[in-house]
Amino acid sequence: MSVSPRRLLAGASALATLAVLSVSACSAGGSGGNANGAAKTLTVNTSFVLKTLDPGRVYEATGLTAVHALYDTLLTFKGSDVSKPAPALAESYEASPDAKTFTFKLRQGVTFADGSPLTADDVVFSLNRLKNIKASPAVTVSGLTVTKTDDSTVVVASNTPDPNIPVVLSMPSTAVLNSKAAKEHGATDGADAAQGDTAQQYLDTNSLGSGPYVLKSYDPSSQVVLEANPKYWGTKPQFSRVVLRNMDVQTQKLTMQRAESAEISLDISGKLLDGLPGSLQTSGVQDTVYFLFLNADPAVSKVTSNPKFNQALRAAIDYQGIAALYGKGAAPGAGLVAPAFPGTLPAGEESKRDVAKAKALLAEAGLTNPTVKFTYPAITYKGVDLGTVATKVQGDAAEAGIKLELNPQPLTTFLDEMRGGKSPLGFTPQSLNYPVADSLINNMAPGQATALRSGWTVERADPAVVAAGKKVTETLDLAGRAAAMQEWQRLMNQSSPYLVLASNSSIVVATSDLTGADYNAAGWQVDIAAVGRK
Amino acid sequence: MTTVHDGEPGAVSTTASRPRGAHPLLIFLAKRVAITAGLLLGVTVVTFGLVNVVPGDPVTANLSDQALNDPAAVAAFREKWGLDQPLWAQYLHYLGNLLHGDLGHSQQTGRAVLDDLLHYVPATLELAIPSMVLALLIGTGIGMLAAVRNGRLTDQLVRIGALLGLSTPPFWLSLVVLYVFFYQLGLAPSGGRLSTDFSPPPTVTGMYTVDAALAGQWDVAWDAAQHLSLPVLVLTSLTVAMLVRFVRSAMLEVLQQDYIRAAYAKGLPTRVVLRRHLLRAGLVPVVTVSGLAFASLLSGTVLVESIFGWPGVGQYAYRSATALDLPAILGVSLFVALVYTLVNLTVDLLYGLIDPRIRLS
Repeated sequence: MSVSPRRLLAGASALATLAVLSVSACSAGGSGGNANGAAKTLTVNTSFVLKTLDPGRVYEATGLTAVHALYDTLLTFKGSDVSKPAPALAESYEASPDAKTFTFKLRQGVTFADGSPLTADDVVFSLNRLKNIKASPAVTVSGLTVTKTDDSTVVVASNTPDPNIPVVLSMPSTAVLNSKAAKEHGATDGADAAQGDTAQQYLDTNSLGSGPYVLKSYDPSSQVVLEANPKYWGTKPQFSRVVLRNMDVQTQKLTMQRAESAEISLDISGKLLDGLPGSLQTSGVQDTVYFLFLNADPAVSKVTSNPKFNQALRAAIDYQGIAALYGKGAAPGAGLVAPAFPGTLPAGEESKRDVAKAKALLAEAGLTNPTVKFTYPAITYKGVDLGTVATKVQGDAAEAGIKLELNPQPLTTFLDEMRGGKSPLGFTPQSLNYPVADSLINNMAPGQATALRSGWTVERADPAVVAAGKKVTETLDLAGRAAAMQEWQRLMNQSSPYLVLASNSSIVVATSDLTGADYNAAGWQVDIAAVGRK
Repeated sequence: MTTVHDGEPGAVSTTASRPRGAHPLLIFLAKRVAITAGLLLGVTVVTFGLVNVVPGDPVTANLSDQALNDPAAVAAFREKWGLDQPLWAQYLHYLGNLLHGDLGHSQQTGRAVLDDLLHYVPATLELAIPSMVLALLIGTGIGMLAAVRNGRLTDQLVRIGALLGLSTPPFWLSLVVLYVFFYQLGLAPSGGRLSTDFSPPPTVTGMYTVDAALAGQWDVAWDAAQHLSLPVLVLTSLTVAMLVRFVRSAMLEVLQQDYIRAAYAKGLPTRVVLRRHLLRAGLVPVVTVSGLAFASLLSGTVLVESIFGWPGVGQYAYRSATALDLPAILGVSLFVALVYTLVNLTVDLLYGLIDPRIRLS
């Protein structure tokens, strides 16, 4: 049909031009956009893992970062050092020789953001509430009793000797709330707090702390805005406003490549660090360990429960090659304790590949071309696609005559399967919930809850491993504990169902004008209030 | 009961007997409301069932590893969320609350699901409305152009472009657009709804551009508009690609009708034929597709929202699904079902406006 379409063409072109112009008219350039107040705002880009800002319930990375800036704890860690707690609300503390009783002397003159004084009652209330709510972080204080002896003295007692209590009381979940205000909004520290406490919704949108910042706004999908607390008792933060912004990790990288000032990114690590401009600064420590777990229960798998197969798989894997998949900041794994924490094994003690040995061990085990289902979460974690690592493990194992059938799963399905103890062989990353490595013994030593998910009972374990674990928990001085922890890991590497592949770093990427943007492995990633300008 | 008149797709006619004097439109609407209620009930049954049969336990998805080792913490969680009750009791409890307008609380965040939806829907609307308007204008124009240029170079280029558009993964296009317009050219912001130096305007509609304009905060409105530009560009491009093919084929069909030939034969100018006859008749099937496209935009474009850090329904749905957050999943499912129902209703009513031959009888 010979119809002239000029008018149509003109209309369509005009609309297309309009659409393009709607983009090109924009002039924001950097992510910070408008210059209004740019000098006062610190932008922290992170892929949100955020459920709540209630200190009694907070457990996820983004929440911990914010809560650390909103609330004070009795003790804290400075910079990147997580080996020694520093004074915060408590200006000093004393430990009893049996490591069961810790007496904290509170700093004088501390007020909450509303101006009311912080007292020992607030500390007792907050810690009891944390314990009795029974949410995710409650386990860290479950065996503790908290009392006050006067308005500025708090005593924390443990049922069993525990030299790590000061570390536990440095964690954001032990934050001290304004108890009077909290009670007015539904908080309770009673034994029935798990059902009776109704303060979460209030605490998600209002902070009741004495920290350097107060909560301005909260949106778990978009952004959390903090503003400087004018009544803060300590050194005032340099940025009057901080915006924690939810951003996909790829977008974070693009954003940081263009960022000019006062911007931080928390999720660029591994291979994603490649290609970043040299003008950006990075800070990180290896705080994550990636390991395989083999089921030691013959009812689940006759293959993986065979100790010789366990050793054969250890010998089959190319640890250097796997570490290379993680990119900068990674290393072949030595023990279950990541290098960020006291008690890690020194470099050089990592497992070594020996394919001939692996084949010999398989022959000794009487296994010919064994086939095992290999389950892992189909996710990218800290810049690393776990599927890529699993495929490398599969290839390494194949060279020794072991066939691994890859079984990627959605995260929730994987967790369910892992916790149900049904996986013959699995793969997972692990970070510590707080910087005390011997918490691993409470979970991963033979007969403990996590170990039992891999069918590793005390009866199936080498008695030497059990004894080494016991020695760690019985050692009361921290240096001695760290040494005992190393010995435990060496024995674990010989016979445990855990096979450490690599350790990887978490990284803070910051623009060059910032100071104090140090990665901290205690959970809050970066101390926002310590970030300043050069 | 619906029947089709004159062979036109989607035409609406009520033929069942009705009370004397009742307007057919009212009867039609009453039936649609009843169908919608039944549909929503069905959605709750199916969603409730599906979420409870898929592998994965809300407890393991929501509690820490250490807490899972503590039977007291696990029991407290189960009791708090009613997971210790039989499934039928949980469902009836949910339904009872639903009848009172209570969609429950998110197991992840403890927030009311209804409040969450009211918060996230405006953000999605703010993306979907301009994307749809632009896509309709551009898609219709280009589709008509291709139809009237059938078989010629313009038509071939449009068809190739539409095919490429349909084959393009949304997340890939989002990254490309970000790379070009944000990273290389510095013309648009990278993500979020506002620059970090601005605070959201006072809430009226929940759409930042509108609310900021209403409050006279023009700098905020302009900033919000800039943040809209890239995700709208992506969604518009993808929707245009879908619309163009439908518009083109619908228009081609109309162009072959006798009355078009007759119109030309009696000497009507091309622009009159296009506007009066081609556009009007060709739009009927296009409206159906546009309705579905708009519903799709509203029910969440997960990856686009994720890459642009846009706090909309798509992201909410994704987070809820990955955490097996049953109340939130049910809330989003109901919202999506409602959106599709309302859009279909609107489409049915629009038929009559576009084509006078289609009428409720």
